[in-house]
Amino acid sequence: MSEERRSSNGKSGVNDEVFQWVTFKLENEIYGINVMQVQEVLRYSEIAPVPGAPNYVLGIINLRGNVVTVIDTRSRFGLETCEVTDNTRVVVIESEKQVIGILVDSVAEVVYLKASEIDDAPNVGNEESAQFIQGVSNRDGELLILVDLDKLLSDDEWDELKQF
Amino acid sequence: MEKPLAASKNVMKNYLSELMTDEPLVQKSAETSQTDTRITETIVENERLETLLKNVNANIEVQETKLTTHKSVNEPISNKNIAEIDIIKKAVETSLVTQKSHGNVEPQKQKTYRQGDFQALYFEVGGLTLAVPLIELGGIHTVDKTTSLMGMPKWFTGVMLYRDEKINVVDTALWVMPEKMDEHLKSSINYQYIIMLNDSGWGLAAENLIDTVVLNQEDVKWTTSSNKRPWLAGLVKDKMCALFDVDSLIQLLNDGSGINKVDS
Repeated sequence: MSEERRSSNGKSGVNDEVFQWVTFKLENEIYGINVMQVQEVLRYSEIAPVPGAPNYVLGIINLRGNVVTVIDTRSRFGLETCEVTDNTRVVVIESEKQVIGILVDSVAEVVYLKASEIDDAPNVGNEESAQFIQGVSNRDGELLILVDLDKLLSDDEWDELKQF
Repeated sequence: MEKPLAASKNVMKNYLSELMTDEPLVQKSAETSQTDTRITETIVENERLETLLKNVNANIEVQETKLTTHKSVNEPISNKNIAEIDIIKKAVETSLVTQKSHGNVEPQKQKTYRQGDFQALYFEVGGLTLAVPLIELGGIHTVDKTTSLMGMPKWFTGVMLYRDEKINVVDTALWVMPEKMDEHLKSSINYQYIIMLNDSGWGLAAENLIDTVVLNQEDVKWTTSSNKRPWLAGLVKDKMCALFDVDSLIQLLNDGSGINKVDS
């Protein structure tokens, strides 16, 4: 996690930076988030619900004395809820100067992607969640969907999270 | 079940062989004619330039059609008399027109298939037959794993990887007839092919490829107004099916619009 970027010797030139992405699974799709925003990955532990919390908040966990709000990533991405399994993880991330957790089906690996390997997603989305997609990349024949965590919540929602 | 598959494979073979045989000839002849046209244009332009310079020097009134070059635009006007300035104004106007016609990559809205005979591909989705002009197809692929993206319209099935390409797959039935897509119809549809639209990244999902046919202009009832249904080029009289206007369809898809220009 210490090196976010490293120079690329790729043929696309000096600007073809390499980024590291932590990949996780939701439903059957693979998503990637910038490794620099990931603080740690936790096994699933009991998430305490918070009365009156917005529907995108699953609850809170105690992380070494700090309260971390856990976001319901599935509902945020427009997916149906599913049972917690042994592979379920809480990825603790820092975004918009806040530390939050996102619940995912499983965490896969850390991958290196050159900037030139990342394409824009089709700009036809008519729902808020379409903004979460930073780009897409063909990774060994699988499409990796790169998520912009800063856009996971709106400004108002980030402000609301500060209340927790 | 095997028969439609075999028929579709034959159609695909025909389509591919037509692409392999006809296209290069057309391209080659198009390239040759383009080169010829360019040479002719250069000669004509040089002649016009000579004429124009002579005319300007002689202070003779010049007709608009003869003033077509940049050089005439760049003539200094500060030292000219009023008559010359008038001439140069005309030259500026004419030159601008000329620039526009040369600079525009797609000067003609007229489709190539709107003249003479053209080939079309019939395909089927949800019991509905649809047609596309063959010349506006970018290729046909078999359906592979498609990755859905969040927040996209329902008709956007997702992204399918094909070699290094990323194909944006359209659920054609859902796009074409969203009002008829109940759960029963949805579950009964079995997409097998992706029909690529021109050189865009968009592909229409199809259940079966029916046939490629040669149509003439009279075989189609062409739509006169493109405002209401820009995606519809016309109706094929024999099959009574819609013929897509591919460019307009691509535009609608790029805009995220459904068939009724409303996001679905």
